[in-house]
Amino acid sequence: MWLWFSKLGSPKWFYELSSKWLPWLIGAMFIFLAVGVVWALLYLPPDYQQSYTSRILIVHVAVAGTSLAFFPIMAVAGAITLVWRMKLADMVAKTAAPLGAWFSFLTLATGSIWGSVSWGTWWEWTDARLVSMLFQFFLLIGIVSLRSALEEPDQAAKACALLSIVGLINVVIIKYSVEWWNLLHQPSSPLSLDGNSANGPEFWLPMGVMLIGVYLFLTVSLILSIRNEILQRERRSQWVQDIVRQS
Amino acid sequence: MFEAMEFSSFSEFIDMGGYGFNVWSVYALFALFVAANLMLPRIKRKQILREQKRRLVINDEMNKADQNDGDPV
Repeated sequence: MWLWFSKLGSPKWFYELSSKWLPWLIGAMFIFLAVGVVWALLYLPPDYQQSYTSRILIVHVAVAGTSLAFFPIMAVAGAITLVWRMKLADMVAKTAAPLGAWFSFLTLATGSIWGSVSWGTWWEWTDARLVSMLFQFFLLIGIVSLRSALEEPDQAAKACALLSIVGLINVVIIKYSVEWWNLLHQPSSPLSLDGNSANGPEFWLPMGVMLIGVYLFLTVSLILSIRNEILQRERRSQWVQDIVRQS
Repeated sequence: MFEAMEFSSFSEFIDMGGYGFNVWSVYALFALFVAANLMLPRIKRKQILREQKRRLVINDEMNKADQNDGDPV
């Protein structure tokens, strides 16, 4: 177990393993995203209330759901960094933050475009779901700038791990905001097998495909950034220099 | 397969029941987002490799020059 653990923390091991896995992950990602997009744009029947704007939700919900994964990832990575000082965990925490900010921004933008027709407003300060997602966006921006401001890597890792725990609490608030405060943003419709319900298989199936596609996209882009981070931090090691010479 | 499609003409497809602007701008944003986050790490990787290769070459040449000095102290 400990051998496995220390191997997992080795940047070289991760770099070599991800080289093997990346082509498969990228292939699967493109298949899921393509099927999801084509299905949503060509075959999704119009919703009886939302008409074709329900197609926006396929993207919005998939991106929003995935954006909630960032703080759990960063909190776990931060805890591992603080307890075991694993190099790789800190690289995960560092690269996840800017990507998470992008995801949160896209969630807000697509939601806003959807809301402009469905709610008749682009933004609503009194809605808990909207404001807590905006808070997640700002928190991630804050973590990115904190890391670039703090010179001492140990200090940066500690501060970011602490902020990740705040973000983790916020994720719970985002998740349940629609149930705790019944404001503008609707709660998720229960999955149903009935074709006539608001969220029958003709809607949640393409949504599920898209969600898997976006999760694969998160995995791929995180791995790509981590590999860049490895090349920079391990540049003095022989194996990285070999890669550089062969490039 | 094509009978199951929700549109009978291309202009109807673009129009999206009158919500064409909203639907297409979301999908355009999404496509841009995916493309950018796949391309940027690749560009950065190339920059990193180029920069480090340059340093390695300079390092190699300095080592060589040291050896060729011919005046071992």
